[in-house]
Amino acid sequence: MLDLSVDEYAHLNSPLHRWEIRYKIAGLLALIFAFSFVRDLRLLPAMLVVTLALYLLSKLPWRYLAHRLEYPGFFILMLAVILPLTTGATVLFQLGPIAIRAEGCLSVVLIVVRFGCILTVGLVCFGTAPFLDAVRALRALGLPALISDMILLAYRYLFEIGTDLMQMRTAMRLRGFRPRRPDTETLNTIGSLVGSLLVRTYERAERVYKAMRLRGYGHGHTIRNELRTRPGDVLAAIAAGLLAAAFIGAQFYLNR
Amino acid sequence: MHIPDGVLPATMCIAGYAVTAAGTAYSLRQIGKKADPRESLPKASLFTAAFFVASWIHIPVPPTSVHLLLVGLMGAVLGYYAFPAILIGLFFQAVMFQHGGLTTLGVNTMMFGIPALAAYQIFRLHKAIAKNHFQPGVFGFFGFLAGFLGVLMVVLIAVAILLPSIPAYMDAAAERTAILAIALAHVPIMFIEGFLTAGVVTFLWRVKPEVLEEDVRPDDPTPQQSIPAVAEG
Amino acid sequence: MNDNQTALTLADLSFAYPSQHAILRQLDLTIAPGERVGLIGPNGTGKTTLFLLICGVLKPTAGEIFLFGQPMRYGAFRPEIGLVFQNPDDQLFSPSVRDDVAFGPQNLGLSKAEVDTRVMESLRTTGTLDLAERPPHHLSGGEKRMVAIAGVLAMRPRFVIYDEPSSNLDIRARRRLIRFLQAATETLLIASHDLEFILEVCDRVLLLDGGRIVADGAPRDILGDPALMQAHGLERPHSLVPHEIPHHR
Repeated sequence: MLDLSVDEYAHLNSPLHRWEIRYKIAGLLALIFAFSFVRDLRLLPAMLVVTLALYLLSKLPWRYLAHRLEYPGFFILMLAVILPLTTGATVLFQLGPIAIRAEGCLSVVLIVVRFGCILTVGLVCFGTAPFLDAVRALRALGLPALISDMILLAYRYLFEIGTDLMQMRTAMRLRGFRPRRPDTETLNTIGSLVGSLLVRTYERAERVYKAMRLRGYGHGHTIRNELRTRPGDVLAAIAAGLLAAAFIGAQFYLNR
Repeated sequence: MHIPDGVLPATMCIAGYAVTAAGTAYSLRQIGKKADPRESLPKASLFTAAFFVASWIHIPVPPTSVHLLLVGLMGAVLGYYAFPAILIGLFFQAVMFQHGGLTTLGVNTMMFGIPALAAYQIFRLHKAIAKNHFQPGVFGFFGFLAGFLGVLMVVLIAVAILLPSIPAYMDAAAERTAILAIALAHVPIMFIEGFLTAGVVTFLWRVKPEVLEEDVRPDDPTPQQSIPAVAEG
Repeated sequence: MNDNQTALTLADLSFAYPSQHAILRQLDLTIAPGERVGLIGPNGTGKTTLFLLICGVLKPTAGEIFLFGQPMRYGAFRPEIGLVFQNPDDQLFSPSVRDDVAFGPQNLGLSKAEVDTRVMESLRTTGTLDLAERPPHHLSGGEKRMVAIAGVLAMRPRFVIYDEPSSNLDIRARRRLIRFLQAATETLLIASHDLEFILEVCDRVLLLDGGRIVADGAPRDILGDPALMQAHGLERPHSLVPHEIPHHR
């Protein structure tokens, strides 16, 4: 599960891959927020065009997008079924007691397009550079050092700790643990599983801390890698910012 | 339970980020006051990964199964670190797996983070009641409370967020019923997490009390601590 | 004894965890620069504890430690000594191999250029240059071991301690490690259950049991003494067992 990482296509070469990561994150996140402002259906086509253009420019494969839309798309799908049946007074379609309402359908369109566009631009943002570069960029953009250090260490040991858990679960299953109900036995066993995972993690953390101390942790500073910014990076970020402002402005204008 | 992108109005998302920023600043300040942050960093980071991994564990609740929230337990083990740990866990989920959302990262963090911090404070109360000694009944009961109330608070915050966000045209009565139904459906989960949290904190106290956040540990040593440990090879 | 001539001097070193029985009892030891010392003994004798004491990560209950003539203070960072852990996963805590090897030099306050030079040099010496951009969990056991060694060597230590270096290595990786250590110029202290490994790499062997050094001498003498080995829960390595004694299946 952990190996199909979001940056599996970070090695490709496209204008978006070449966009310096700090400016890319700033610009695309501004755009994503602007999208979340949109409530007027007339702005949706523009959103779709911008999103499509960005994705095509990124040269990321379509199956990448499709695969990553699956899980979150499931919840959106549920809304897509519920809302038209419950929201609004204007009935488009009636089949016995079930009425499909216009306002509900329009709500669904709005939510689905917003969700799709935000997710796609998010993938363009984080799928076109290694995940760790993104974390370093966030640090450069102002994320507190403690948080970014925590992210890097947590990310580093995610795989090992995940493996610990898998091994323990396999061991349990091989000894016949196949829970069916949340009864006392199940809860006790899962409680022991969680407890054991935490104890093993604690002991691992102690060893890691010793290893860090042995190589001077606490005695020096990490040198930050200098990122080379080109004028194109800054211009692209400004363009993205203006686009974001345009969407927000348009929304307010249409809404007044 | 994480809220995905595109569903909430922008004002709600921004408010969520504001609250999360405040919560993070508060937690970092409290962390700085206590121990040496450099020493506690590796532990907090690895626990962040451990709780992230633990959320993959699910409990069968017929007809379906539920993933563990462990909000109460995070408060008991991480203390103030629970807030940044939750922020980071949700960040991983949003960026690496597209669970939850980028615009809703603030809202989601607040939804789980505030209950975690509250659960931490609730669990600490066992020391006041048991007068700093380890009394299994009191310890376990407060563990249960931390787990139970943790989930309850998450549900309450989720309801508070979703109620004003539902499209205006929706039938108010139907909407309220739906949300109430979802909230009630979580009551069994509150009990499950309550019992689970009680079990895990008791396990930890007996096996390795240092795992629990300092504030939360009773003063008397556990029986294990007077037995000489096997020296490392 | 002139401390300036020794790499390591332990004087009356004792250690016990609070309210627990003693792990090390009044240890006396001197290691000269350039020596390659093997440390053997049954599990639980405190080899890892001893290493952590020597490196200043644990505080002695009594006694003194001198590293190249200077007393070793608890908590001090002495880059002249390096420790390679038993489990390289615990030691490779950075997101990429390059970042990890750079960690030590960065904490030494070196310039970026100097850090890069040291990283390159260490990766080349350990044969791990092509692994530079990989995340640690994508490495095999042998590769992790060599990267962990690179991370320690990047600080240019004069004394390196290896804790069970050949554990979990396949035959090829183990052989590569033996050749690497045979060519090393630093003072070495190696703890291992792999007695053949010790025979090939070390010129002196210490036997640690019950918190004390019970034997100290040439590898063949110590490892080849059946009574001594058996008395301390060990066996002679296969190559020292005469073939007149039937011991194959």
